[in-house]
Amino acid sequence: MKSNSSRKISSIILLAFLFFSCSSDLDFDQVKDLKLEPVFVANLAYFDIPANQLIDDGGTHIAFDTRSFDVFKDSFFTNRLKKAEFNFEIENNIDRTFIVNLLLMNDDNQILQTISYTVPAYQGTTNVIKYPTEVFENERLNLLKQTTKIGFVVIIAAGPPLNNESLGNLKLRSSATAYLVIE
Amino acid sequence: MRKIYLIFCIVFQLSCFSQNKELLYNFTSIPQSSLVNPGADVSYKYYFGFPVLSGVSANVGSNSFSAYDLFADNGVDFNQKVRDVINRSSSNDKVVTNQQLEIFSGGFRVGGRESRSYVSFGLYQEFDFFMYVPKDPALLALNGNRDYIGKSFNLGDISAKAEVLSVFHVGYHKKVSDKFVFGGRAKIYSSGANATSTKNSGYIYTGQNAGTPNLYNQIISSNLELKTSGISKFTKDEYEGNVVRDIAHNTFFNGSLGLGLDAGITYYIKENLQLTASIVDLGFISQTKDIETRTYKGTYQYNGVNPDFMGTDNPENVFDEFKEAIPEETLYNKYTTWRPTKFYSSIQYSFGEARPDDECNCRGQVEKYYKNAVGAQLFAMTTPREPLVALTAFYRRNIFRKLDVKATYTFDTFSNKNIGLGLAGTIGSVNLYALVNNILEYKDLSKARSAAFQIGINFVFQDRED
Repeated sequence: MKSNSSRKISSIILLAFLFFSCSSDLDFDQVKDLKLEPVFVANLAYFDIPANQLIDDGGTHIAFDTRSFDVFKDSFFTNRLKKAEFNFEIENNIDRTFIVNLLLMNDDNQILQTISYTVPAYQGTTNVIKYPTEVFENERLNLLKQTTKIGFVVIIAAGPPLNNESLGNLKLRSSATAYLVIE
Repeated sequence: MRKIYLIFCIVFQLSCFSQNKELLYNFTSIPQSSLVNPGADVSYKYYFGFPVLSGVSANVGSNSFSAYDLFADNGVDFNQKVRDVINRSSSNDKVVTNQQLEIFSGGFRVGGRESRSYVSFGLYQEFDFFMYVPKDPALLALNGNRDYIGKSFNLGDISAKAEVLSVFHVGYHKKVSDKFVFGGRAKIYSSGANATSTKNSGYIYTGQNAGTPNLYNQIISSNLELKTSGISKFTKDEYEGNVVRDIAHNTFFNGSLGLGLDAGITYYIKENLQLTASIVDLGFISQTKDIETRTYKGTYQYNGVNPDFMGTDNPENVFDEFKEAIPEETLYNKYTTWRPTKFYSSIQYSFGEARPDDECNCRGQVEKYYKNAVGAQLFAMTTPREPLVALTAFYRRNIFRKLDVKATYTFDTFSNKNIGLGLAGTIGSVNLYALVNNILEYKDLSKARSAAFQIGINFVFQDRED
C-alpha cells in the first residue's frame, strides 16, 4: 500500500516535469541584423548682421569670418554618418544684393567645397528665401567629413550706400540633417 | 543549436517573473517556504537540502513584450520588431529577472522532543535584474530627433539595476502555542557584482521657438549616474581573466558585504482560519569592492556656428564645449544599495477534516488535518519607482497524505490570468517539489510575458511515529 502510493506520488511529480512546454521557433541570430537608422537634425550656423554695421559708400565689399567646425572629431559619429543635408534660410531686409558663400575648409585652410547663394535686395516685401537642400553623399560626403572649419564670405554688391542710420538686417539660419546607420 | 536556443529561451522566459513566489508562500510541506516566511508553520526533526538541487528557481517578467515578439522566426525584419516593441512599451513597463540557486540548506529542531523551536540555515546564490523600458532614449536611438521637434526626451527613463550575490542565512522560528508561530532570519549578503543606475534625470530637447536667431532651440540637460561595484576591472583593456569565474569567486569569497533581516508570523484566528505575514530582505549592501561611479552632469545648449564679421574673434569648439558642459566624471565613492524588500501576507480557510488513516496508520495518536484550503495572498516588492503589487487567490489540496497540490491565480502588472500549479510530495524522507506559474502560457512558452519555476529536493526527517 505504502509503496503503491509512493509510486503514484513519484509518477505524478515526474509527469509534472514532463508536462513542460512547447515553444515557437525563435531565431536569436536576428540580433545580428540590428541596424539603427536614426535621423538627427541640428543647428548648423546662424548670423544676424544689422545694416548699420555694413557701412560703405555703395561699392562692392566683403565681410569675412572663419569658424572652427569640429563635429567630425567624434569618430563614432563620423564613421556612421551615411548622408547629410544642409538647409539654409536667408532673410534680407536691406536694400542691397548679397552673395553669401560658405567655404568648407580643412586644417590646411584648403577649400574643399563652396556653397554659394545669391540674396536679392529688399524691395519692401517679405524677403525670406529657403534655398534648395544641399545633399552630401558619397564623394561629397567624404569631403564634408574632412571639414574642420567653415568660412563665411558675405559679398555686398554695389547699391545705395549704407550708414549709421540704415535699417534692416541680413539673417541666416541653417540646419544640418544627419542620417546615421548604426549596426 | 536549436536546443541551445530553447534552453536560452526557457531561461530567458524564466528570468521574466517578478520575484513573487506565490506558490511557495505558505506551502508548508516544503521546508524552503520558510525562506519567504520565516514564521511559516513548518515542522521537522531535521532536514537538509540536496546540495545545489534543493532550491532552483528562476523567474522572468516583462509586462510589454515576450521573447516571441522580438525573436519569432516569422520573416518580419528584426528592426521592425524592435520598433514595434518600443512603440508599444511605456516607460513604466518593467523587465524583471530573478534567479536563485540554493547551495546548501538545512534545519533542525532545538530543545527536546516536545520543543517546537527550529533553527534553519543555508547559503544561496541570487541574481537580480530590474529595468524600466528606457522608452525615450530608445526612440531617440531608433529614430533620431527629426520627427520629434518639440518633444523633450526624458533621460529619467533610464533606470536599471543588476546584482549577483550570495546570501548566508540563519533563521529561527518557534511555535509558541497552537495558535501562534513567529520567526526571523538574519542574512549576510555578499555581492559579487552590482550595477545601479536608478537616479537619472534630464532631457534632450529640440524645439522651434519663434524669435530666436537659430532654427532650433537645442538643449541637453543631463543628470546621469552609473554606479558599479565589482565590475570596473573587467572593462579595462589589460584584463585577461574569465569574467564568469571571477564574478563567481567574488560573489562567494570577496564580495561587498551587507546585512538583512526577514521576519514573519503565522496566527490561527480559529483552528481552520489562518493569517500570515512576512517581510523578506529588509537589508542593504555596502558596496565597497572595486567601486566606480560614472556621472554625466550638466546642461548644454547647441547653437551651431555663429560667425562674427566684426572681427572680435572668440573661437568656439562645439565638441570641446560639449565635453566641458557635460563632463564625464569618474568617482570612487562607496555606496549603499537597498535590497528589493518583499512583503507577503495571506489568509487561509481550511475545510474537509481528515485523519491520516488512509495510509494504514493504525497506531493511534493521530492528528487530524484538513484536506483543503482556500485563501488569498498579497505580495508587494519595492522597486526604484512604485512598488510591484500582486494579488493571488489559491486553493490547496491534500491528494494523499504526503502529496499536496497548490493552484494559484495571480493578478499583477505582468498578467491578469497567471495560473500557477505546485506539487510537493514526500516519499520516505525525500521531499520533492515543483512549482510552475503561468501554465496557460506553457503551450507556447516563447509568447509568455512572464514565467517562473522552482524545483527542489530535500531530505526531511520527522519524529518516528511510533
